This record gives sequence, C-alpha cells and structure tokens, in this order.
Amino acid sequence: MALIEAIGVTKVYPGGLVANDAVNLSVEKGEVHAVVGENGAGKSTLMKILFGIEQMNGGTLLLDGKSVAFANPREAIDAGVGMVFQHFSLVPSFAVYENVVMGSEPHRGIRFERDKAISEVRALSEKFRLQVDPLQPTRNLPVGQQQRVEILKALYRNARILILDEPTAVLAPQEVQELFVAIRSLVEQGRTVIFIAHKLPEVLEISDTITVMRQGKTVGQVKTKQITEKELATMMVGREVTLRVDRKATDQSVCVASVEGLRVRNARGTDVVDGLDLKVHAGEIVGLVGVEGNGQAEVLEAIAGLRSTKSGTIKIADEDIGPLTVLERRWRGLASIPEDRLSEGLAPGGSVAENLVATKLADKRYVRRGLLDLNAIKANAQALIQRFSIRVNGPNAPVGTLSGGNMQKVVVARELSEQPRLLLVSQPTRGVDLGSTQFIWRTITDARDQGAAVLMSSADLSELLALSDRLLVIYRGRIVAAFLNRPDLSPETLGTYMLGLSTQPAEDMKMALR
Amino acid sequence: MTDAPTIVASTRWQTIRRETGRALGAALIALAVTCIIVFFTSKAPLEALTTLATAPASRIRTIGLWIDDAAKLTITGLAFSLVFHARQFSMGVQGQVYIGALAATYVVLSPLGVTWAAIPLGMLAAMLAGGLWGFLPGYAKARLGANEIVSSLMLNYIAIELCNFLVRVSLPKPLVGVLTTNDFPDTAVYPALVANTRIDLGLIWALVAVLIVWFALYRTSWGLKLRLVGHNARFAEYSGIRPTTIMVSAMTVSGMLGGLLGSMFVQGQTYGKLTVLFEGNLAFEGILVAIVARARPLAVPFVALAYAYLRQGAQLMNIRTDVPAEVIGIVTALIILLVSSTYSLPGRKVLARLFRREPKPATASATGEV
Repeated sequence: MALIEAIGVTKVYPGGLVANDAVNLSVEKGEVHAVVGENGAGKSTLMKILFGIEQMNGGTLLLDGKSVAFANPREAIDAGVGMVFQHFSLVPSFAVYENVVMGSEPHRGIRFERDKAISEVRALSEKFRLQVDPLQPTRNLPVGQQQRVEILKALYRNARILILDEPTAVLAPQEVQELFVAIRSLVEQGRTVIFIAHKLPEVLEISDTITVMRQGKTVGQVKTKQITEKELATMMVGREVTLRVDRKATDQSVCVASVEGLRVRNARGTDVVDGLDLKVHAGEIVGLVGVEGNGQAEVLEAIAGLRSTKSGTIKIADEDIGPLTVLERRWRGLASIPEDRLSEGLAPGGSVAENLVATKLADKRYVRRGLLDLNAIKANAQALIQRFSIRVNGPNAPVGTLSGGNMQKVVVARELSEQPRLLLVSQPTRGVDLGSTQFIWRTITDARDQGAAVLMSSADLSELLALSDRLLVIYRGRIVAAFLNRPDLSPETLGTYMLGLSTQPAEDMKMALR
Repeated sequence: MTDAPTIVASTRWQTIRRETGRALGAALIALAVTCIIVFFTSKAPLEALTTLATAPASRIRTIGLWIDDAAKLTITGLAFSLVFHARQFSMGVQGQVYIGALAATYVVLSPLGVTWAAIPLGMLAAMLAGGLWGFLPGYAKARLGANEIVSSLMLNYIAIELCNFLVRVSLPKPLVGVLTTNDFPDTAVYPALVANTRIDLGLIWALVAVLIVWFALYRTSWGLKLRLVGHNARFAEYSGIRPTTIMVSAMTVSGMLGGLLGSMFVQGQTYGKLTVLFEGNLAFEGILVAIVARARPLAVPFVALAYAYLRQGAQLMNIRTDVPAEVIGIVTALIILLVSSTYSLPGRKVLARLFRREPKPATASATGEV
C-alpha cells in the first residue's frame, strides 16, 4: 500500500487556469520519489495541495490508505508531512536551534528549555547527517546550510514525508552531493522524500521512482532503473503536432539587433543572463528556446529597456541603445509583446482606445501641446479593432472586460499597428484560444515577411518550431545550442540542450549563430 | 460601426445611473440607521430629525453656510480624487491647507495686503506652499521609498503645529493671548457673492477647479498618463511613461489644490484672518467625497453639495436639539463603508460582467477571423 497517494486530483485557480487536471501520484514508504516536469507543469501546485497550502477542487488524497484533506499546513504537519520551499522562511537574527524549534519549543511551564532545544537539534542533525552548528546565527550560514536548517525544522516536527521543492536550484554542485547524502540517510531511517526537480541527471541519481507531469497532467510513473535520460526528456517535453505557418522567402542579410556579452543580475544577486551573444536579422524570426527561468525573459526585458544590465552592449542598427529610455527605443522601431498581458501589457481598467494609444503619447497625431486628440485616438482604435478583428463593444469598453484572446489582440494591435524594425515577443499565445492563436501567429509572420526582425520566446516548443527561422537554446543565461529550423529538427533534440544534458560543438553552433 | 456612438453613450448613461443609485442607496441606509439612533437617544426625536433634514435650507444665512461648505468640500474632494487616480494614498490635504493658509497670511499681512494684488498673490502663495507640501511625500516615495500615507500624515502634524506656533508667537494679533491674527485688510478678503452670507469668490474657484481637473484628467496627455499609471504602473513603464514623475506631479498638483483651500479659508468671508485649527477637519472629509464620487471630478461637486447639507444639518441639530453632531459621524462612516465596499473591489464588477454576457461582435469583420 502506498504511503501517500493522490488520485485524480484537480485544481482550478480562480482565473480559470487548470493547474492540475486529474493528477495521480503514488508514493511508497521509504523511497525517494521524484516529480519532474517543465515549469508550469503543475508540480508545485500538487505539492501545495499535499502540504495544505492549496485545496483541491476534485479527487482524493490518501494517507496510509485513509482519505485526508488538509485545510492548512498545520494539519499537514500534524499528519507528518513536511515541506521545504525554494525560498526559505528563516529568521536571520535567530540562531539555528531557535529557528528549528520555533513554534514547537520544548518548555517547562512558561520557561523555554534552551539547553534541551540545543541538544535535541544537535542530536537530530547528527542522526540525519545534516551537519550544522546549532548555535550559529542563521544569517551567517551559506545557502546550503540554511536549507539544512529548513529540513531540520520539518524533521523536528516529526515529518514522515518530506517534500523538497526544487532543492538543488539554489545549490552549488558539491552542496548538491551533501544534500544527497542527507536524503539517503533520511530514507535509510524510514523517512520518505518527495523531490521536485527539472534537472534530469540529479533526478536519475537520487530517486527510486519518477512521476512525470506535463501541462497539468501526469504523463506516467516509472522506476528510475528502467529509464534513460533521453526517454525521460521525451516524456517531459512531449511530442506534439506542429502547425507550420507559411512564411515568405525574405532578405535576411541585414543585421537589425545585436547583443554582445549581455549580463543581467537579478535581485538575489545571481547572473540570470551570463554573457549572452545573439543577432537578429531583418526578415527572420529567432526563437529563444529554454526551460522557463533560464534568462530568456530577462534578455527580452533588457532589450526593451525595462531591466538594467550589468554589462554588455545592445545595438539596434549599429546604435548602442544601452543609455536610451524605453520611449527612445520605441522611436527607433522597437515593439514588444510582453510575457504577461495583464500585469505588463495592458491597463485593465483603461478603455480599449486608451490602451491602444498608450505607447504613442509623444506622437503628434494623438497629442499636440499636451492635449489629447480624442477624435484621432478614437479613429485609431476603430481602425485597429477592424484590422485585428478584436471583439469588443466599442473603443470605450474597458480592456479588463475582454476575453484573454481579445486582450492579447489589443496588445498585438498596439505593437504591430506600425511595422516595427525589431519586435520582441514573449509567450504570444499563452492562455489564448485556438482561433486567436492562429491570428496572432499570422500577424507575427506578416511583420517578419515585411522585414521586421523578430526575437521570440515561448514556453510552447511547438509554437517556436512553427514560427522560427532559427532557434537558439538558452540554458542558465547562455546560448548553448543554435539551429536553423528544418523539418527534421525535433523537440527531443532541443530538449536535451534545454535541460543542459549536452553542449553543442562550437562549429555546429557557429553555423546557425550567423 | 454606425451604432458605436449610441452604445457608448448608453453605457456612460448607465454608469452614471448605477453609480448615483449606489450612492443614494448608501445614503438612505445610513439615514435610516441615524433615524433609529436618534429615536433611541433623543427626548424629541422628530424635532431633531426635522432640524437635520430642513435646517440648512431654511434661511438665507444657513444656505450660505451650506454652499460655502460645499465649495470647500469640492476642492478637497478634487485634491483626493487626483491622487486616487494615480493610485497614491496621500492623506496630506489637511497639512496643505494649513501651510497654504500660512503662506497666504504672510502675503496679506505684508504691505502687499492693502493693494489689489492681495487676493491673487495670496492665492498664488498658498498654492505654491501647498504644492511643496504635496511634492515632499511624493518625492520621498519616489527617491527613498517612503510610504506616502505615513509621510503625508506626519507633514499634516508639522503644518498644524507650525501654524499654531506662528499664530501664538510671531504673527501680529489684536490682543495678547488670543489665538488669531489681526483681521486681514478688506482688499485681501474674497468679496461675498451674496450679501450677508459666506458665499464668496471661493465658490467660483471651486467650480473652475472642477473644470480644470476634469480637463486635465480626461483631455490632456498628462491626465491619460496619470490614469494609466493608476491602472497599472508596470504597464505604464513598459509603454515609456515614467510612473514616478507622474506620481510626484499628481501629488504636487493635488497639494496646490490643498493650498488653494487654505487661502479660501483664511481669505474667505468665514474668517478673514488666520486662527489656529481653523479648518475643523473639513479637509479630511474630502476622502469621503472622493470615494463616493469615485474620484470623478464632475461628480465631486454634487457629492460635496449633498454631504455639505448633511454636515450643516448635523451642526444645526447639535446647536438646536439634544442630539450631538457626532451622530453624523455614524452616517459618514456607514456611507463610506457601503460605498467603498464595492469601490475597493473593482474586479468583482469585471468578473460579473464577463460571466453575465458574451461580448457582442462589434464589427462586421469580426466574424471573418483567419
């Protein structure tokens, strides 16, 4: 009998996003069970349900064969489930032992038994080979040791099942090995570990059983011994029918945009873009392929002027645009379809007309001497509503009342109302219905056919394969492979590079890097 | 697209009707609760309620009090509306009123006060000082990340105490120990529009301000940028608008309105001099006006008119009957609660609309999707 089992678990978020669609998971006692899948596959949602942070809309959860439903993490902890998140929740000024016992302190009456707490934490850390000094203040510890404190926290509360959410994402290679030693010792002593990851070599090294998820569904459950890396990658990425959009032959000799040695540092101090070079020519679509979070969003934001860079140059037609503002870049022919239309691409409370003119408030056609030309703004909106077939009650309707596909059409209409020189596209059809997807694909290829240079990133590989002339694979902020898009190029080939399983020989890469 | 304008016009009319209905509904519920309270607390409840309901409109003098309050509430309502549009919750109008009043006082008690320039220069000084007082929390937020609610409230105290101190210590006054300055020269006081009432030039300024704020918000690119920043600051940045510049400018302009209100108080018929604590918390009540008017400048004067009536009614009830004016605090609180409970959840409206009806195809070509 499985220790913990999820049967047909379904989770629909209030926005209508189906994060888990009849997901199954069966974890045996005393095993390391890996759950793998691309970002957005629904792994984290499933774990949050197991830990009581999210509540499922359907399905059953069995613990020791009995049906359970955790209303909050407290109930999950009491039932013996512990979870360590990617982002730690430690009090930096507290010592390690204080962080570990906090909330369940050993006490006599109202007195905190400090010595007992210290000795208990020390015993626990020796038992499970999680070496850490209980008296150290937590803020002095390196990330790997902070993670051990988090694991100790769960163990101190008698977790039988320990969920680790992408534990290796923040660790250096030798720290990963130390973590694995601890995980093995946990399992030897009868604990069960659920391990979330998308780095396959690690998964194959540490796990006994693997459950693969894709797009909110479970693809299958396999024994680690019976599968190869390649088979696993195929299961993760999936094979999908690729729709190809007709593209005209274009003159691709002129380089419109070039990025050299780009480095972008995120708020946590790591280089998410780490010395990246790329070029985009007029009349071509370059697809940026990668597992989400490998720096593709940051590259596009840096080019658009929305994110400061640490070093490197970005040029449009041989002009360094580094010091230019967003508006000045737009004047030089840059257009951008951002990743998240609701948080970046639109003002949901504003009208369709206002959203369509928002990037053109320095344009003499719409604004003269600081005054709006309401007739021109309305005419612009009406023309674009017609041209892009936006279904809306009129230019004054608030954008927030439109469907996802029509909202995205508003973004596309604004950015492509005039032929851009360089078009940045991120997730152009996420959460968009099929009809609108077709239309948006057509619009992007039309811009390309008329000579725009297009740099596109998408979580949907079939989209990139359908639209791109060239594909660049980005892994940990660097280009690790480059391909010309030919019919024989398969998602599996891309997948191995996306997951960092192999690196392309320099000569092959040069050919497609142009 | 021939039917588009009629659709637009009808939705706008619907919005006005819906919002008015909601505000009136809130006011009615609140008044019903007030009736109950008055019935339980008063020995002569009917008399008290009659006073509340009719006294402000009963005599020319009380009508004057009512209209004067409405003019002032309009200005503070506009000041709050502006910052609310930029989604800033600056609470600084009160401080701007005191600082503006101080600045106006220094101008009119100088030799300039006896010339024709006393009124325009007094107003100008008040607006500049108020603008500075509005700019400071905006700048502190943009540069230092200081929360604008906290910094603007602190600036209120500074302004109030500064005014207190200067009136007590250094400004010229008729008698030792009184807490007012000398009366302003006649040239510095707004002329009354209706004799023997408090209705003065301030009413004109209030109406002009309504038009200017409406025009600035809906007809200038600054106003559109401001509203876009309020809707979604990240989107504004992505579009090439600088959210911090817009935010600081909105708070500065709002501060200028606050300063103008300060001048309207001390240079108006009500006072004609500077006294300590002169504004009687009226400045803060602009929040209520702005919330009920949903920050729409053209709705502000109507809400101000209705609220000023309640406010005066309560004060007259306080004087003439055994019911204290504080009862009106309950009305105010209930109205804010009822109106803002829908005000703060715009998403609910959007959702309801999404589920209630499918978007109708507005263009003939909409069906011809590729």
